[in-house]
Order: sequence, then structure tokens, then C-alpha cells
Amino acid sequence: MAARDLRTQVDSLLLQLLRDLEELEAKRAALNARVEEGWLSLSKARYAMGAKSVGPLQYASRMEPQVCVYTSEAQDGLQKFWVMRASVQTPEDVGPREAALRRRKGHTRTPELESSPAPRDPLNWFGILVPHSLRHAQTSFREGLQLAADMASLQIRIDWGRSQLRGLQEKLKQLEPESA
Amino acid sequence: MLEGAEFYFNVDHGYLEGLVRGCKASLLTQQDYINLVQCETLEDVKIHLQTTDYGNFLANQTNPLTVSKIDTEMRKKLCREFEYFRNHSLEPLSTFFTYMTCSYMIDNVILLMNGALQKKSVKEILVKCHPLGRFTEMEAVNIAETPSDLFNAVLVETALAPFFQDCMSENTLDELNIELLRNKLYKSYLEAFYKFCKNHGDVTAEIMCPILEFEADRRAFIITLNSFGTELSKDDRETLYPTCGKLYPEGLRLLAQAEDFEQMRRVADHYGVYKPLFEAVGDGSGGKTLEDVFYEREVQMNVLAFNRQFHYGVFYAYTKLKEQEMRNIVWIAECISQRHRTKINSYIPIV
Repeated sequence: MAARDLRTQVDSLLLQLLRDLEELEAKRAALNARVEEGWLSLSKARYAMGAKSVGPLQYASRMEPQVCVYTSEAQDGLQKFWVMRASVQTPEDVGPREAALRRRKGHTRTPELESSPAPRDPLNWFGILVPHSLRHAQTSFREGLQLAADMASLQIRIDWGRSQLRGLQEKLKQLEPESA
Repeated sequence: MLEGAEFYFNVDHGYLEGLVRGCKASLLTQQDYINLVQCETLEDVKIHLQTTDYGNFLANQTNPLTVSKIDTEMRKKLCREFEYFRNHSLEPLSTFFTYMTCSYMIDNVILLMNGALQKKSVKEILVKCHPLGRFTEMEAVNIAETPSDLFNAVLVETALAPFFQDCMSENTLDELNIELLRNKLYKSYLEAFYKFCKNHGDVTAEIMCPILEFEADRRAFIITLNSFGTELSKDDRETLYPTCGKLYPEGLRLLAQAEDFEQMRRVADHYGVYKPLFEAVGDGSGGKTLEDVFYEREVQMNVLAFNRQFHYGVFYAYTKLKEQEMRNIVWIAECISQRHRTKINSYIPIV
């Protein structure tokens, strides 16, 4: 019966929604941990290098981003976010049916010949010989970036899932009084 | 020089030694640190500091209180004390004080050059320069493009001039060259300071020379540790090591070839002083870092300097101990403001 089909659909959608919510919570906790770790590592770097050596004096007020956020439409019309190094000029052609989120971080490509010189590592704003706590901070923040993109994609999926769920529940309500 | 500083020292320097010992007695105690660690906000920290020798030093600060403001005010207080000592000193203590300020001058010069690279205004950086390293030609530092330029145009009349011998080059000052310049200047400065203390002889040499040897070796270790994975070549690295320490010459040669922490540890194992320090280093993110261990040893040596009388080392030791106290307070304040209290007890108490 149409109502039973609808109910199974609602159930599976609800389960998927709950799974997504759980994943989002886990990613949120991980992001908080990474960011806290990053800030503490910055404090440790200040302890080792001097309080004024790691601060707003060391970076320019205008800077080029190293990492950009790209979006694409997946098969089911949902947007996906991913972060990529800005030096990659054109993203690989994502096949029109590709829905999977592909990790680009760490996937270095030789820059095209006509592209601008490779952007300098922001770690070098603080000098060449930087303590390990500063490198650790950079790694923590980079991991946090990736998590943020994943979380944004997940949230879009959750919102879509909720609206689908509401729609299905409306349809169910309409069907129920008829079958009664 | 005739040995027997106890006969001559007090004539010229007795008042200042008494003063610095009084200042040392007002450093924060373990109980003060325990109180600070229990604070919930930076305002609480300010209230607790009012009961110590710091007094109302934060009274004129506008809300909100930040860690950076606390650090700046503490530095100003130290600078006032130091300037008082310096203004009342006679030779050769005055030269000793000048040597002490050179390290801060080098830091300020590098801060200004980095600011020029990042296109910051000079005024913005001057405010953040270390007050102990202030000198009149500072504002002109950012116009220089090469080290020779910097020397000829700006620094030739300052106290830093004699340290430029190995640093003259026509390379434009990018990040790598600024780092090389910083370390080479510091190396020349440390070796000159060491020679001054050694030539002075007497108790000053007995106290200051081991402290400066430790400083030289510590710099060699830290430069090596931080250079792993960077573009600094091994030959370049070797030119940055100060040669007035215990590691010179065999240890420095071995260190220059080291490629990871384990190899560094093996070099340190040859020296009775450094072996236990490296053993105290915890692995990974749990235990102490090498910098922590070195800071602890520095505090130990500086506290012991106060056990002898009639030498200039007490001034150096007091300044360094005060700086450690400032590092401790800034660390505690940062842990409080980030609400991340797991490592808040990683300060080094000064007993």
C-alpha cells in the first residue's frame, strides 16, 4: 500500500538523518578539539619565542588565501563543499554523476607554467627557525579547516533530510484519513 | 686585575647590589603562583597581582584586559627598574648593562625588518618593541635593503656595530636572510659578552662565564632542533652556532651533522651537563619540551648566582629571573583566557 511504502521511506530517512546528526556532532567535537589545541600550541610558541614574536605584528593586513572553498552540485541536487589549495588552478573535472566528496588536501600538483609563484608558507612569517609548537599549531588548524568543510556539507544534507521528512510526513497524514 | 673584589666592589657598586637583592626578594613566590592558577578570569589575575610587588600596574588599562596588555605593562615595569640601575651605575658595570641590552636591540631590529617585509608602518611596530632595547636609530631600520646597507646607514653608531663583522653581505633581506642575520648578530654578541666577562675576571667571570656558556650551547641545540625540515643547509647552520660554549669545537661539528632529535641526543650524551637535561625531555605532546628543560636549568643557574657577593652577575640573573616570571604569568593568563587548564601548571617557580 502507498501508506506502508511511505512509512518505510520515512523510517529510512529518519535513520539516515540520525546518522548524519551523530556524524556532525562527532565532527563538531573534533573541530573544537583541533582549534583549542591550535590556540594552546600558539601560546606554547609564545612561551618559547617571546610574547610579541607570535602575534598580529608578524602578518600583513592583506594576504592571499592559501586554501579556497569550492562547491559543486551533486547528483541529488545537494551542494558539497571542499577545501583546496589555491595554487591548483582548475579542479579536476568532476564527472556529472560523481557524488562522492573527494579529499584534495595533500594532493600536490605541479603548478601550471603560467601560474603565479608558489605561495609562501605562512609559517615563515614567524621566521625560518620556528619551534615545533608553532608547526603543531599549523597542523591542528589545517585539520580543522577540512573538518569545517565536511561539517558544512553535512549540515546541508541534514537540512535537506529534515525538509524531505516533513514532506513525507505531510503526505502520510493525507493518506491516513483516506484509508481510515 | 687584583683578585679580591670584596675590597673594591662596594665603593662603586654596593648600593646597586643591595637594591637588586631587594628586587629579587620581591619576585613571586610559590604561594602567589598557586593563587594565580586558581583565578577564573583575567580580572582575578589583576586583583591577585595587586597584592604582590606589581601593585596597581594595570590600573590605567581600559577594558577588556588582554594577555598582551599584561605582558606590555610587566615589560615596562622591568624596564623602569633596569633603567634605574643603569643610570646609577659606574664603569665597568655600565658596559655590562650595555651588553645586556644588546640582545633586546637585536630583537627589535629584526622585528622592524620583518615589519618592513610585511609592509607594516614603523609606528605600529615601535610600540611593540622591547623597551630595554630601545635606541634612537631604531626608526630608520626599515629603509635598509641589505645587511651592508643596514650597517652603513643605520647601525654604525650604535652598540651593535662591532657585531656586524660576519654579517656584511649584499643579499636582499628576505625571511631566510633575516633569520641568518639575527642568529649571526646574536652569535657575535654572545662571544663578545663572554670575552668581556672573562677579561673582567674575579667573581663576575666565575659566575657569568658558565651562564653564557650554557646560553651558547642552548642556542646551538635549539637552532639545530628548529632547523630540521627547513631550507637551512647544514653548512649555514654551523655558521650560526656561538663558539663560546662547552660544545665548541667537537660538539658543534657533530651537531651540524645531526638530522633528527635522536642524533642530537647522542651528541648531548657526551657532555655530563647536558645528558640529564635531554633525559628529562618527555616524548610527544605529554611531557616537557627541550625549551622547558633549558629554561629550568637557566633558572637554577640564575638563582645560584645570588649565593655569591661582589659580582655583576646578580644584575643579569635578576633580569633573567624576572623575564621567567613574566613568561610564567603570561602562560597562566593565556591558559585562563583560553579556558584550557590542563597545562596551567607548566610554569617554572623561582625558589
